[in-house]
Amino acid sequence: MTNPILKDSIIVADSVDKIYPNGCHALKKVSLNIKKGEVVVIIGPSGSGKSTFLRTLNQLETISDGTIHIDDINLTHKETNINKVREEVGMVFQSFNLFPHKTALGNVMLSPMKVLKKSAKEAEAEAKDLMAKVGLADRMNNYPSHLSGGQQQRVAIARALAMSPKIMLFDEPTSALDPEMVGEVLDVMKSLAGGGMTMVVVTHEMGFAREVADRVVFMEDGELVFEETPDRFFESDNQRLQRFLGQVL
Amino acid sequence: MKKQQNLLLWKMLYVLIMIGIGYGVYASSKSLSYNWRWERIPQYLISFQPTDIKAPFDGSIESVDPKEHKIVVQSDSGQTFVVTKYDKAIAHTGDLVFEGDTVATIKGWHLGSISWGLVMTLKISAVALVFAMIIGLFTGLARISHNPVLRYLSVTYIEVIRGTPLLVQIFIFYFFIGTVLNLDRFTAGVAALSVFTGAYIAEIIRAGIQSIHPGQMEAARSLGMNYIKAMVYVILPQAFKRTLPPLAGQFINLIKDSSLVSVISITDLTKAGREVVSSTFAPFEVWFTVAILYLVLTGSLSWVIQKLEKRLSASD
Repeated sequence: MTNPILKDSIIVADSVDKIYPNGCHALKKVSLNIKKGEVVVIIGPSGSGKSTFLRTLNQLETISDGTIHIDDINLTHKETNINKVREEVGMVFQSFNLFPHKTALGNVMLSPMKVLKKSAKEAEAEAKDLMAKVGLADRMNNYPSHLSGGQQQRVAIARALAMSPKIMLFDEPTSALDPEMVGEVLDVMKSLAGGGMTMVVVTHEMGFAREVADRVVFMEDGELVFEETPDRFFESDNQRLQRFLGQVL
Repeated sequence: MKKQQNLLLWKMLYVLIMIGIGYGVYASSKSLSYNWRWERIPQYLISFQPTDIKAPFDGSIESVDPKEHKIVVQSDSGQTFVVTKYDKAIAHTGDLVFEGDTVATIKGWHLGSISWGLVMTLKISAVALVFAMIIGLFTGLARISHNPVLRYLSVTYIEVIRGTPLLVQIFIFYFFIGTVLNLDRFTAGVAALSVFTGAYIAEIIRAGIQSIHPGQMEAARSLGMNYIKAMVYVILPQAFKRTLPPLAGQFINLIKDSSLVSVISITDLTKAGREVVSSTFAPFEVWFTVAILYLVLTGSLSWVIQKLEKRLSASD
C-alpha cells in the first residue's frame, strides 16, 4: 500500500465502475475506504447502485473498471482466488437465501465442513454456539420453511459468521421482514458491531444508521454523493440527501 | 358425513366400470372362440421339472451305487466324472454314454424363459438407468455452462437424440457403432438406451437447476464454496428433489423402451414372450403375462420413488 492514510483500511475501493452488458451504468467512479472495525451504512434510493456496490466487495458482481482491495488483496487481479477472499467476507441477503434442504444447524455447519474441512463434530459445536448467540438455540433442528422471517435472517447471519469472516456485508437485511421482526435482526447486528466486526450495511433503517454506524454513505444514480459521521450526516444540508431523506422519513 | 357417502358411491361406480371392462374382455374372447390355455404359462415363469445331469465326455458308466448314492462315469481316455447329488439315476452300470447324454436327474426349481427375460429386462434397465443419469447430469450441466463449446455440443446431442426414433438408434448402435467398436449385443443395447434416455434426463435436470433461485448459488458462493461445491451441496440436492416426479416418468419410460432391444436379439422380457408364443400357441395369455410383468416392474419403481419423495419432503 503506497498511500499511508490507507494503511489501516481493510476495504479500499478505488474508482469502481460497473457497466452492465445492456449499457446500464450502475456504478460511476465509486471510491470508499473502510477501516478495520468500522461500521459503514450505505443509504440511497432504489436503483442508486448501493446493493451493486456492496456485491462488488465479494465479487458477486464483477466490476468494469477501478480496483478493490480487501485486506490488501486485489480482487480483480488474475491470480486472486476469489473463493479464499469470500471465506473472509460474510454476506447476508435481503431474501435470506437459506438452504431449504438443510436444517438451521445444517445451514450453519455446511460451509465450515465443506470449505474449511472442519470435522462434523467441531462444526456442530461451533454452529450450536452461533445459534445460541443469535438467540435460536431452541430452533436448531427446524428447516427454514418452519422458521419466521426474522428467525431465518438470524440463521443466515449465524451461517455467515460460521466462516469467522473479517468483514460482514449486509444487503438490506430487514427489507423483506414484517415490521415486528426487524428489531430482533437489528439487535443481532448491533451486538456484532459492538464486538468490533467490520460491517458494511445497505439499509433503509435510519435509526440503525444513526445509532450504530461510524459513517453513513449516501449513494444516488451510481455515484457516491456524500459520506459523513451519523451526527453530521443527518444534519447536512446537501440538497440531494435532503430530497431523499424527505421522501423516506 | 354426506361427503363420505358420495365418495363411497363414486368408488362403487369405479368398481362397476372395471368389472364391465373385465367382462368386455372376457366376452370378446368368447366371441373369438379362443381357447384359453393359462395352464401352459406357469412353466415358463418357474419350472419344477427335474434337471438333467449330463455326461461331460464320451465313455461308459463304471458304477451306479444306490447304497453310497454315487455314479462314476469313466471316459475313453481315462478321466472320471463322479455324480453324488442326484435324485434318480437314468443310466445303468456298464452303459455306453456319449457327451451330453443324461446320466441322472435332480429335482428342484429353476426359472422359466419368461422369468429369464424379466431378469434381462431388469438388468438392462438398471445398467442403462445408471449411465443415463450420469450422461443426463453432465449434459444438463453443460447445457447451462458459460462455455459455448459445451453448450453447443450438448444442444446438438439433445436435438439429434430426441429427433430420431429409439428403434433406429438401436440399429445404428448395434450395426454401425457396435461393429466399429466391436460391442456385444448387451453393451450396444445398454449404450443405445442410456444415450437415448440421457438426452431427456439432461433437459429435466437443466430445468431443475434453472428453477432453483439464483440467490442459492450466490449464498453458497458468498460462503467461499467454489462452483462445483455449490452445485454438489446446495443446488443439485434441491434440483434433484424438484425433478424427482419427471425423472420417475423418464425411468418408467426407460423400462418400457428397453423392450425395443429385442430387435437386436437380446432375450429380454419381450423377446422371451415372442419365443414362448411360438412354442405354446397361446399368444393372448403370454402377452397378458408379459404386460403384467412390465407393470410389476414399473409399479415397484413408482412406489420406491414415491417413498423417496415423501422422505425428501421433510424440509417442506
